[in-house]
Order: sequence, then C-alpha cells, then structure tokens
Amino acid sequence: MKLLIEAIGFGIATGAVIALGAVGFSVQFGISNVLNITYGSMMTLAAFVGYAFLQLNLNVWLVMAVTSVIVAVASVVFNRLLLEPLKRRGTSFVGVIIATVSAGIVLQYVIVAFVGATAHSFGQQSGRTVSALDFVFTTSQLIIIGTTVVLMVGLHVLLTGTKIGRAMRATSTNRTVARACGIRTERIIDFTWLLSGALCGAAGVALAITTVSFDFTLGSSFLIYMIAAAVLGGIGQPYGAMVGGLVVGIASQIAGAYWSPAYQDVIAFVILIIMLLVRPRGLFSTGTANRRLANA
Amino acid sequence: MPTSSADAAPSALATRGLVAGYGDVVVVHGVDVDVQKGRLVTVVGPNGAGKSTLLKAILGLSKVMDGHVMLDGAEVTGQPLELLARRGIGYVPQVDDVFETLRVSENLEMGGYLLDKSERAARLDEVLEIFPALKPKMRRFLGTMSGGERKMTAVARALMLAPRVLVLDEPTAGLSPALTRVVLEEQARVLAHHGKAVLLVEQKAHAALEISDWAYVLVRGSVAKSAPAREVLGDPDMAEIFLGATVRNEGAR
Ligand SMILES: Nc1ncnc2c1ncn2[C@@H]1O[C@H](COP(=O)(O)OP(=O)(O)OP(=O)(O)O)[C@@H](O)[C@H]1O
Ligand SMILES: [Mg+2]
Repeated sequence: MKLLIEAIGFGIATGAVIALGAVGFSVQFGISNVLNITYGSMMTLAAFVGYAFLQLNLNVWLVMAVTSVIVAVASVVFNRLLLEPLKRRGTSFVGVIIATVSAGIVLQYVIVAFVGATAHSFGQQSGRTVSALDFVFTTSQLIIIGTTVVLMVGLHVLLTGTKIGRAMRATSTNRTVARACGIRTERIIDFTWLLSGALCGAAGVALAITTVSFDFTLGSSFLIYMIAAAVLGGIGQPYGAMVGGLVVGIASQIAGAYWSPAYQDVIAFVILIIMLLVRPRGLFSTGTANRRLANA
Repeated sequence: MPTSSADAAPSALATRGLVAGYGDVVVVHGVDVDVQKGRLVTVVGPNGAGKSTLLKAILGLSKVMDGHVMLDGAEVTGQPLELLARRGIGYVPQVDDVFETLRVSENLEMGGYLLDKSERAARLDEVLEIFPALKPKMRRFLGTMSGGERKMTAVARALMLAPRVLVLDEPTAGLSPALTRVVLEEQARVLAHHGKAVLLVEQKAHAALEISDWAYVLVRGSVAKSAPAREVLGDPDMAEIFLGATVRNEGAR
C-alpha cells in the first residue's frame, strides 16, 4: 500500500510536468496543425538555458519564467522560419512532421556542441518535503504541480472564455473562414506559438528540476509521454492533455514501482497504441474535434 | 438590350480579364464580371466549369495569373482575404464553410469578430431575425448539425459583418426547397434590395436565375453568356446545354 501511494505521489508530480508539456504540444497541433516533434528538443534547450541562468545564482522559479519567455520567442521564430514556409509551399502534413523530426535532431546536436554530452543537474532534489495524507512531495514538486494547475485553468479560460481564445479555436478549425471573418490568422498563429513555446519552456525547466540529472536527450526521451498524454486527452484539447498527463504519469510510476523502471516508457507506448486503436480522438472527444489526427 | 451588366452603374465588385487557377493549371480564362450595388448577379455553369475558382480568385484564395479584381473601383487583386473582409466583402465558401468545433453562438461571434461588443450583440439579434431556426440551437456544436443548419450558420456568420459585397458559393446546397427559397428570395434578393452587391454561384440555376438581375454562364472557365437573368432562363440553348441538366439535379438534391 505504501508503495502504491508513493508511486501515485510520484505519478502526480511527473504527471504535472507531462501535462505542462503535453498541453503546449497539443495546442501547437490543435491550433497550428503541426505535429511538432522538435518540441522535445525545445524542452532540452529550455533545460540548458535554464541551467545557464541558474549559474548566475538566480532563483530557480525566476529562471523558469525567463526561460519560458526565451523558448516562447524561439518557437515563434522556428515556426515562421521553417514551418510556415514549408506549409506555404504546400508541403504535406507528413512532410512537415519529417521536417520537425529533422530539426529536432539538429537542435539536439547543436545543444551537444555547446554543452557536451555530460549529465547536468539543477540540484533541486534535496530541500524540504511536505506530506499530506500519505503523500510526500518536495516543495519544488508542489510548486510545479501548483503552477501546472494555474496554467491549465488559465489556458482553459483563455481558449473558451475570451475572444482571442475563440479566435484561436476558430483559426484552428477553419483558417479560410477565420480570414473571411477578418481575423488576422497569422497573428493568431504567432500567438499560439508564443503560448505553446512558453509552456514548452516551463515544462523543460520543470522536467530538469524534477529529474536527478539530465543530458541532451532530456526532452526527446520525454516526448513519448507527452504524445501519449496528448492523444489520451484528445490531441488539440488542452484540458484533455491535462488529464492525460496525470494518467500517463501515474500509470508509468506504478509500472516502474511494481515491475521495473524500465517499464515506465513501455507504459506510455502501450497507452498510446491502445488509444490510437480504441479512441483515436481521445477520451473526451466530442465528435469532429480531432478528426485530423484520426485521419492523418 | 445591354450587353454587359456593367452598363448600368459603377460596379461594387468587378473583374477584368481574370485568369486564375492552381499551380500551373489555368481554370478561369479571362473572365469579366460586374456586380453593382443593389444587384444580385448569379454565375451558373456545369460542374467543374470554374465557378468556385473564379470566386476564390476574387478573394485571393486561388492563384490569379492575370487580370484585375476591383472593389468600388479600387484594385484589390490578390489581396489577402482578411483584408478584403475588413474592406466589406463577405464570403461563404462552397465547402468547409463553418467552424466545426465551435458552437453556433461562437460561429456567429467570430462572424462579428471586427465589431465591438455592443455592435455585435445588436447585429446578432438582426441576423437571428433572418434565421430564427438557429435561435434554439445557439449552444450546439456545428459538428453535430445537419447540412441545412450548417449552411444557415455559414450564411448567418457572413452576414454578421453586414458586408457591402457578398460572395456566396452555393449557399443553398443541402437546403430544403423551402429553405432554398428563404435563402434566395428572402435573403439574397432582400440583401440586394438593401443595397448590397451580391455575387452568387448556384447549382439550382432555375431558382437562382428567377430572382437574379444578371447572369453569367460559365463554361470551361470562360463566360459563354452574359445577359439579364430572365433572358438566360428563356434561352433554349442554355436550357439544353445546361439548365435542363440542372433542373433535374435540383430534384435530386
Ligand atoms: N485546389 C485545387 N487544385 C487544383 N485543381 C483544382 C482545385 N480546385 C479545383 N480544381 C479544378 O478546377 C476546375 C474547376 O473547379 P471549380 O471548383 O472551380 O468548379 P465549379 O464550377 O465550382 O464546380 P462545382 O459546380 O462542382 O462546384 C476543376 O477541374 C477542378 O478539378
Ligand atoms: Mg464550385
């Protein structure tokens, strides 16, 4: 029982990071219609940018905020310089995915060129712990969980309760009709990449904070969890990705605790495959929202 | 007898020698179209004639290879759609004409995106007066609605900005005969009466021509006939090459 509770606790903490990352990933797909595999390497970039700032003795949460902004801008630039030109040339959906896979690998090795292949650490593992019920969390875990919840609720409110949020959803479903409404969809797309890039940056730093040590593969090896979470929640639906993150986080920690840590990745893949077979539009799909992935 | 609808008054929307298509493929071969304020002009023609491509060229959505598009006499050739929308052109595409994942209310809100809040609310009331059937369905997602309900939403969405020029690509596709009559006679016709310039593409040629001021018959990307709608309706040649087939189609739709 103690093992289970521990695993669930870890699962919630991991799940928060997965959710944070999955939501950004999901927003990119849902609104920009790009399945951006470079996302993983962008998270690695965030971890190392964060690491660099940490060396300046900045507070780790300030580092997270600053890094988010930097990765947000980098994401907009990435989309404008690589993805939009590809789409303008009529590159297919799969063609764009392949471009993002390639760009991800390039970025990963650019990072290696700068920081090497050695392991780095944020050194946030120690520190006070808080226990509630039978769960034990470090304060940084709690801050990350809290941040995630706040960002997710904020995003939900943004997407469903504000005009720009609805314009984002409108642009994602039908760019031509959005333009016919006078919406400057290019700006909406930029804003989408800014927002999702910020989530990517926050997730990258959060991941670095919660892992003992990391290297240049940090983000790319984490990508499968986020994809599984995004698909579980119905890709393109942020609140779905949030729940998906928790489920994947907890399931993988339980598998790790009861069988072997080696099964953590396996669980993510299994969830992904089952979902694609059984409910390709996600657990909470309401009809047509995710037809694109189902048909892709 | 005028030879062009351009003789009547300056055009709100006009094309001159418009050549358009996709990639290297030319679909529209040098088309002149004129739509005056207060006029309802219909383009008819067989499937694949290039009617939608012509409209898309006007809206900057297909590739314009030559020629001009003019809005109130000002050149707008190839301008981005969002700018044209801001300059007063409303457009309902033939397919993919709504925001599927949004509610009816949200579709209409997006239609009035450029309006401020109070304007939008007032305009929404007016538009719902035109389509009262949408009123009880405001919270429904478009993905779960019927073809006719979607078309209504699409046209209502375009009306939200109260455009001066309306470009409609088969706005009655999938609508019942009764609703078709509502859209054509009470909508398109009434909009024209209210001083809008309406450019309509219709498969239901008979129904459309009966309420139109002017007609263009587009065949293989060229204007085969440009004449008062009544004249096209009564033209035995047109009936044979085109209208006959369409009249039969209307029953099937
Ligand atoms: N996106 C596209 N890319 C390439 N060719 C296209 C594209 N869309 C249409 N075409 C071609 O252009 C021609 C005219 O198509 P268009 O849609 O303009 O016809 P239409 O008159 O609107 O027909 P319908 O009555 O069936 O709607 C067709 O031969 C079609 O194959
Ligand atoms: Mg057409």
